[in-house]
Amino acid sequence: MDNIVGKKPALLWAVHLSVLALVLLWVLPVVGLLVSSFRTGDQIVSSGWWQALSAQEAQQPAIRIAGTEVAQDGVFAISGNLYGGKGGAISAWGTSSREPEAHAPGDTAELADGLRLTVQENGDFSLTSPASLADQRLPRVFTTASTPPEFTLQNYRNVLFSPLAGQSIGQAFLNTLTVAIPATVIPILVAAFAAYALAWMEFPGRALLVAFIVGLLVVPLQLALIPLLQFHNWIGIGKGYLSIWMAHTGFGLPLAIYLLRNYMVGLPKDIIENARVDGATEFQIFIRIILPLSFPALASFAIFQFLWTWNDLLVAMVFLGTDNDKLVLTGNLVNLMGSRGGDWEILSASAFVSIAVPLLVFFSMQRFLVRGLLAGSVK
Amino acid sequence: MKRMLTASAATLALLSGAALAQDLVFPVGEGAFNWDSYKAFDAANNLDGQTLTIFGPWRGEDQVLAESVFAYFAAATGVKVNYSSSESYEQQIVIDTEAGSPPNIAILPQPGLIADLVKKGKVTALGQETQDWLAQNYAAGDSWVGLGSFAGPDGTKALYAFPYKIDVKSLVWYVPENFEDAGYEIPETMEDLKALTEQIVADGGTPWCIGLGSGGATGWPATDWVEDLMLRTQPADLYDQWVSNELPFNSPEVVGAIEEFGWFAKTDANVAGGASAVTSTDFRDSPKGLFTSPPQCYLHHQASFIPSFFPEGTQVGTDADFFYMPAYAGKDLGKPVLGAGTLAFITKDSDASRAFIEFLKTPIAHEVWMAQKSFLTPMKTVNADLYGDPTMKKMGEILLNATTFRFDASDLMPGAVGAGSFWTGMVDFVGGKSAQEVADAIQASWPK
Repeated sequence: MDNIVGKKPALLWAVHLSVLALVLLWVLPVVGLLVSSFRTGDQIVSSGWWQALSAQEAQQPAIRIAGTEVAQDGVFAISGNLYGGKGGAISAWGTSSREPEAHAPGDTAELADGLRLTVQENGDFSLTSPASLADQRLPRVFTTASTPPEFTLQNYRNVLFSPLAGQSIGQAFLNTLTVAIPATVIPILVAAFAAYALAWMEFPGRALLVAFIVGLLVVPLQLALIPLLQFHNWIGIGKGYLSIWMAHTGFGLPLAIYLLRNYMVGLPKDIIENARVDGATEFQIFIRIILPLSFPALASFAIFQFLWTWNDLLVAMVFLGTDNDKLVLTGNLVNLMGSRGGDWEILSASAFVSIAVPLLVFFSMQRFLVRGLLAGSVK
Repeated sequence: MKRMLTASAATLALLSGAALAQDLVFPVGEGAFNWDSYKAFDAANNLDGQTLTIFGPWRGEDQVLAESVFAYFAAATGVKVNYSSSESYEQQIVIDTEAGSPPNIAILPQPGLIADLVKKGKVTALGQETQDWLAQNYAAGDSWVGLGSFAGPDGTKALYAFPYKIDVKSLVWYVPENFEDAGYEIPETMEDLKALTEQIVADGGTPWCIGLGSGGATGWPATDWVEDLMLRTQPADLYDQWVSNELPFNSPEVVGAIEEFGWFAKTDANVAGGASAVTSTDFRDSPKGLFTSPPQCYLHHQASFIPSFFPEGTQVGTDADFFYMPAYAGKDLGKPVLGAGTLAFITKDSDASRAFIEFLKTPIAHEVWMAQKSFLTPMKTVNADLYGDPTMKKMGEILLNATTFRFDASDLMPGAVGAGSFWTGMVDFVGGKSAQEVADAIQASWPK
């Protein structure tokens, strides 16, 4: 007895540690993405997100001197701050890419054509020249400096408020909701009826039908894109909301029926037989008994289907079209990234914009999810 | 109350005026544009109430630029233009045409894909008149006609696609001041370029930044290298035979061009990060090595679009510049130029579709875009002074002065090779396989 009690804390520790490890594994990339979404594209490329949180000493890319020229006693001078007053502590600087650390802060460098350049530790510079510098290429300054952490909201501003080419994220949000809500409700309605029939109504070929539906689970939806769109064009609904609801319903049904049927089969047989004895019709049994008891499974499938339709890009592009006024959120965000993609800062910010609604749905319904995930797996 | 009404009416009038002004980026009749061509087009076309759907590859900033051009078409003809795009436009256009809901006009950068659509009878031929127009009005016109001509469903070759918006690929980018600091000269011949590469290594620097990473398309920047080197080691007609596979991929001429690329990319000292970093570096991040301190590299081979991936605030012409990827002095092959571009074609015929192709023949359709940014055209009648910056003008001159212009071979080859085994083969090649092995594998994958 003692040794069992003694073992328990060790097991508990193991469980806790592995949970912690798993949580870290999931949360770390998200934190990285969140930090990245507040950085500019150049920052993301030049250093890792973990370096963004504290001041870093590094060789900075060249900064070209800019400013207005002041003429005094035949000497033309430009002065200002290399960092635009944002702060930074220079430990060395230079004007040649070959010797980027040639000078210490406070030194004066003699450049070609009699130019003299002084750079202070805080980035203040003064450039003097015997001749006017107007319309001339001014020298570059390479600095080795530690710069304070710098964050920007510009990425979120771009994603939320930049109306590129007549698109607006608000319209895209509405479009996605118009797609996702009916595309979640319709398959549930259809699948619940089908699942009840497959679980509790006796008819020949039932087992075969179930096997066939399970078989449909492995069919990749990409196979169906062209024939289905051809069919939609043929019956005249073409591209539009009706078309995409039908498509999502069709693609979601096999999983929905399979999940709900397995759950309903697990409901106690006695309740249903009692109801039959009492003279309830099949429809009454379905509405009064099965549906309320299946609520966790319905809710968990609703979460799956909603997340899938919310995040979907492919089906929306094919069945809804790519017009600006019909673009879904994912399509809008992809277009923001430009013709060749690669705008990491936009990608990270838009990830957090598009994740907002699914998170809300998940947290408000997650207690059903855990229960529903077990649906049909335990008898 | 009355005052308020007039005030709001005035505001409304102002607002609507502003909206109109925004529709057309350059007011009609002002500046050095060919407004006469626009006015003639305006007078000849009146299609009020029609709609034209255009599906193209441009998204984000490019979409804004493209729509600024389409606005002139809409204003002249009264047609309502619906432009749309999608990240996976290559697949999307196939799905839409197969399923029977195509756009009126599609614009694509892959002639290989257009050839497939033409063969299936999904594209309307543009006719002899447009063909003659292209031959006369585009520099090296016959090569552009050849580019837009495909074999139709019955096997006869005709012009189906109209080249519009060109990228020049034969460019090497560098930072002029880094060259000055180190005392390097811009190479005039390929021999000089190789000598410069060796010189930089001897000075302790790294000459090249090469990045082949591009998600699912990883490897394509290397195909540009091989194509450029193919044009510089072999005559142009051998290049054409290579594209059509009359010259097998594993023939010594092609293997030689691949090995030339290997000379640059497979020597650790020649590439930033060593040869092993070439395949893992994203092509969009690769040019940033030019601008670091100390510079990770001095040279970068990439097409005319790459400045959009330079660090923010980089002034092309001052902070960065390019030179023409030189040809071998020892071989008499002229000044070949490799390019890519987009082609417009009619997937659903209508008066508005026809009018749009006519619109692309007016100088104004080219000038409006080139006066803004990132647009090159081989059309001879446009006013070259309108280029938005001197760099673009310089690239435009390369295009106009080309003795030989050839389109990106990987875009012309069948999809299984040009967007498949050629890409992956290049990754394998840089990863350590020999040029012969890789070329054999690509030849084996060529659709029979």
